Amino acid sequence: MLPERPPALWPRFDRRLRSTAITARVGRLLGIAFGLCFVTGLLSHYQYHPWTWLPVPATPAWGYRLTQGVHVITGIASIPLLLVKLWSVFPLLFQWPPVRSLLHALERLSIAVLVSSALVEVTTGFLNILQWYPWTFSFVSVHHWLAYVVAGSVLMHVAMKLPLAREGLATPVTPVVGAPPEGISRRGVLVATGAGVGVVALTTVGQVIPSLEPIALLAPRRPTQGPLGVPINKTAGSAGITHIAPSYRLTVLGPHPFDLDLAAVEALPSIERHIPLACVEGWSVSARWGGTSLLDLVRRAGGYGGSTVHVVSLEQGGYGTSTIRGSQLHQALLATHLNGERITLDHGYPVRLIAPDRAGVLNTKWVTRVEIR
Amino acid sequence: MKTRLLLGLIGLALLGYGGYQLLHNSSVTHPPDVAKWLVIALIVHDGLLAWAVLVVGWLTARVIPVRTRPYVQGGLACAALITLIALPLIRRRGHAAPGLTLLTQNYAAHLAVLLSVVVAVVVAAYLVRVVRDRRQGRSTANERSATDHTSPTE
Repeated sequence: MLPERPPALWPRFDRRLRSTAITARVGRLLGIAFGLCFVTGLLSHYQYHPWTWLPVPATPAWGYRLTQGVHVITGIASIPLLLVKLWSVFPLLFQWPPVRSLLHALERLSIAVLVSSALVEVTTGFLNILQWYPWTFSFVSVHHWLAYVVAGSVLMHVAMKLPLAREGLATPVTPVVGAPPEGISRRGVLVATGAGVGVVALTTVGQVIPSLEPIALLAPRRPTQGPLGVPINKTAGSAGITHIAPSYRLTVLGPHPFDLDLAAVEALPSIERHIPLACVEGWSVSARWGGTSLLDLVRRAGGYGGSTVHVVSLEQGGYGTSTIRGSQLHQALLATHLNGERITLDHGYPVRLIAPDRAGVLNTKWVTRVEIR
Repeated sequence: MKTRLLLGLIGLALLGYGGYQLLHNSSVTHPPDVAKWLVIALIVHDGLLAWAVLVVGWLTARVIPVRTRPYVQGGLACAALITLIALPLIRRRGHAAPGLTLLTQNYAAHLAVLLSVVVAVVVAAYLVRVVRDRRQGRSTANERSATDHTSPTE
């Protein structure tokens, strides 16, 4: 049996500052943040793996811009929130006795899973927007499946702690009884946390909200920096494309297939559309695209509005192909111009796909083939 | 209680589903590497970061006078949270593939700017407190002398 009191060297903590009043308040915010991240993350996943009968809609054009902006900025802001939440309950790691019953042991194990999966989830997400991958696994797969582990452990945690959380929320932040701590107050902790989270959010949200770009001091990207006012996330060089050969053809495969050489591509009728480009990494930018209607080409080859269309790039593997159908197909352009200029090789010259409410990387560059299914 | 049980069961199902998929798709998820990251995350937080915060808190309680302590501690907490986000950016600046216009900002300089703002706000908040205390001190002193004047026998 364990002794009733902890051994002499067991850590002891000043419990005047840490309180369920703080834990519950920070925890509630963190729960909301994680909830937003989970839902917007699933929406982003859906962009890449939609059900055949429910294609991603083209309206609102800023849909993905909003949801992925929320996902990334909320994810960044949840890092300081998570750390403060963990700080507020750290003494419980050394509770005595360490285990009271089998149920208590299981609860503590589930909290270990919650803490480590949450830490890894926010870390992998943050490092991904820096394009830093110090691991061997696929970021997308692990970030996706681990999100279920985090969401599940959060729900279990809420289920177990709900009465305590209610009590904490009902407790005033300023202690009514007992000596106040000789230092920062509980209110002070909440103010410092709010300020830290606020600064982090305000100095990164300029990746999404153009008017805040001037103060985007901690943003990995300035969305208006880049050729023609739009960032590049995949250069032609890294896609193995050094130049477009004179033998280039844009082939449209369908019941009545045809192909176009570079001169014919330049001569295609052109329309202009305002379509924001929104990246999975959270940045987005409004842009004016000029080009030919993809649906017109599809119809010319014998397809129709209900066709499923594969767009194939000169780029090999990875995101070298994408599928488009439904309302996105109706509004899609094979773009030749961006903000009034002929698109550069890094932007996808000679033509790239662009459609509203579509994850950035699915707007296939260097298009050489359109296949109607 | 029923709600809590239902929440817990949904949570357990999600947790199980995620865990199963992590193991099931081992060719891309590399479970040993994920496990390594999960364990390292616990060690780095519970074994290093949390203790560093405790040590700094203990030091401020020893070194900083009681009156300024809340401001110093609040400022340090806020500054630490901002620095933690800035550090990976500083570390990775210039590491992105050429032509991506990614991580091009001078994050060290930006962090210095943000930390200066934190210091300025903390100093301003402290000065406000000093001025308010002085005024309050004066008014209580006035009240006391007024009371003394009307009831000298007390």
